[in-house]
Amino acid sequence: MKKKGIVLPLVVWCVMTLITLLPIWWLFVVSMRTRVQLFGRPSLLLDGFYWGNYVEVLENEEFRFYLWNSIIVATSNCLIVTVLAFLATFALSRYKLAGEDSLFFWLITNRMAPAAVFLLPLFLLYTQVFRLGDFQLFDTRIGLILLYCVFNLPFAIWLLKGIMDGIPKELDEAAMIDGASTFQVLTRVVMPLAKPGLAVTAILTWMFAWNEYLFAATLTSVEARTITTGLAEFVTVTGTNWGELAALSMLTLAPALIFLGFVQRHIVAGLTFGAVKE
Amino acid sequence: MDHPVVHEVSARDGFLPIKTNAFDRGFIGVVFGIFLHLLWMRFLEQAIPLWVCTILTVLLGIYIVKRG
Amino acid sequence: MRSPVTGWLFLAPTILVLTVFGFVPFIYVAFVGFFDWNPFAANPDLVFAGVNNYRRLVFDNQFLRSIGLTLQFTFWVVLSQLIIGYLLAQLFMRDFPLKGLFRTIHTLPLLVAPIAVGAAWRLLCVPGLGPLPYYLNRWFGIDFRLGSFEHQAFITTVVMDIWHWTPLVTLTLLAGLSAMPKEPFESAQVDGANRWQIFWHIMLPLLKPVLITTTFIRLMDALRTVDEVWMLTGGGPGTATRYIGLHIWRVVFPQTDYGYGAAMSLMTLYLTIMLCWFLYVGLVARKPRAS
Repeated sequence: MKKKGIVLPLVVWCVMTLITLLPIWWLFVVSMRTRVQLFGRPSLLLDGFYWGNYVEVLENEEFRFYLWNSIIVATSNCLIVTVLAFLATFALSRYKLAGEDSLFFWLITNRMAPAAVFLLPLFLLYTQVFRLGDFQLFDTRIGLILLYCVFNLPFAIWLLKGIMDGIPKELDEAAMIDGASTFQVLTRVVMPLAKPGLAVTAILTWMFAWNEYLFAATLTSVEARTITTGLAEFVTVTGTNWGELAALSMLTLAPALIFLGFVQRHIVAGLTFGAVKE
Repeated sequence: MDHPVVHEVSARDGFLPIKTNAFDRGFIGVVFGIFLHLLWMRFLEQAIPLWVCTILTVLLGIYIVKRG
Repeated sequence: MRSPVTGWLFLAPTILVLTVFGFVPFIYVAFVGFFDWNPFAANPDLVFAGVNNYRRLVFDNQFLRSIGLTLQFTFWVVLSQLIIGYLLAQLFMRDFPLKGLFRTIHTLPLLVAPIAVGAAWRLLCVPGLGPLPYYLNRWFGIDFRLGSFEHQAFITTVVMDIWHWTPLVTLTLLAGLSAMPKEPFESAQVDGANRWQIFWHIMLPLLKPVLITTTFIRLMDALRTVDEVWMLTGGGPGTATRYIGLHIWRVVFPQTDYGYGAAMSLMTLYLTIMLCWFLYVGLVARKPRAS
């Protein structure tokens, strides 16, 4: 299309960038202020570095535990999802299976369901039904890890399906003829080629699991609380300690800042189920 | 959005505004049936019992599946 | 070599996990919805109640109100995002310096935890601390207090969601725009069509598939918004921003009225499906389905 002046887009995008960054910048500014500095005329400028809020949060035993839980849950979920999705997409793209289109459709619909609808049944199942003797899934990390598969697996399968279909079948057929077992084809031939896709999938699933709040808040009480629930509790419990709230929020969104550069090219395909590719 | 065809049933034109296959029409029948029941419970149940609605729904469902 | 058994073996764990944690809860909620079940009532067992829960539901004004609010919220959010996202995507079609950087920063909100988004906006809005009340009061004389005025709370949740999700719309529409052929536009210009005609008769039809996909994805996400709104307003003031997800979460659990809650959950799912289906027929109507 027409290529007109660069002034308008430049100005608009500078403004947009400021708007996009404003809430996050404000979090950062608040987290860098002492209680006294917070009130009065709200200045958007940073007035010096004060790490006290971060120290407070990180010295708090409870929040360290939440952070640890979040790391464990997100990492295990990301590993499980990536491995399962890798195997599943390999099967979907390399084997002729009866009804695989229906199956694929069903896998994907799992993601569409509103989370709030499944809160109550999952809560009831976790506390009343899924139990072995004294062990129940409620308030365990493993419960969260398995549950997050429900919305992460469909996403990962979507993302990997495209990548898997893009790897030429001739390669693994050639390897088969050379006498490689299916396992060897998977690890030696397909995996190296799918590595970039696997990395993106892993990062995005990790992010989604890390960001999740609703299920974590409902299905845990003490032992498996994650950082997002800690953040929400902060508001209701301590009320007005805004500096620490901001510091904890910064810790919660830090992974987003770190991974942004790696995955920004793929996030659209990821969030639209690959319906829109770039 | 691409809606993959879930069941390999031939699609055809009926009075419904879209081409449907038997599975689609069954689904539409159930969805409308539920909706009818809900409206009935809200507005008509004081006067007419609910099973009347159920019968109507079944008839409507058959009509949709046959002619939709 | 390629025996289907191996294929199913690879798929088995995925199917197992999704069945147990995705399908079983769905069946279970449908089942519980037909029972009276309150573990803390006189009779803590499940008692078959037929459709009584649904009978109660259609007269539950709080529930109906939160559905209404959710629909309003969804409408404003999706509409604004489509318009803003389209304009921004158009700007991205031009060449200008630092485009990549702007784009990366624009993507940032998509990755931030919704709960942190809520926290950030709450900090912006707290009276006496946040810059929003301060400057709105100073420049426009607006008394901005989320905790007191229903309209302000509603609008703020909409603005927050626009901030959070417009980037997705921008990027999907940008992908759609980039993939568009140039010839129709050039020949239309030669024929002397004005900008509006080009937009209406050429741009929109070509962009329609992407536009519809984006609308559906945003729609389904907007209908289930919980985290950010919970963090920002807690559903208040009163029940002004208690959208359906929040309603289920904040009302059902404290009351431990599980049968009724299950009915409510299932009804929400039903309404979501209905809405999407009607829109699908409305937007893609009379188009033969691919088969």
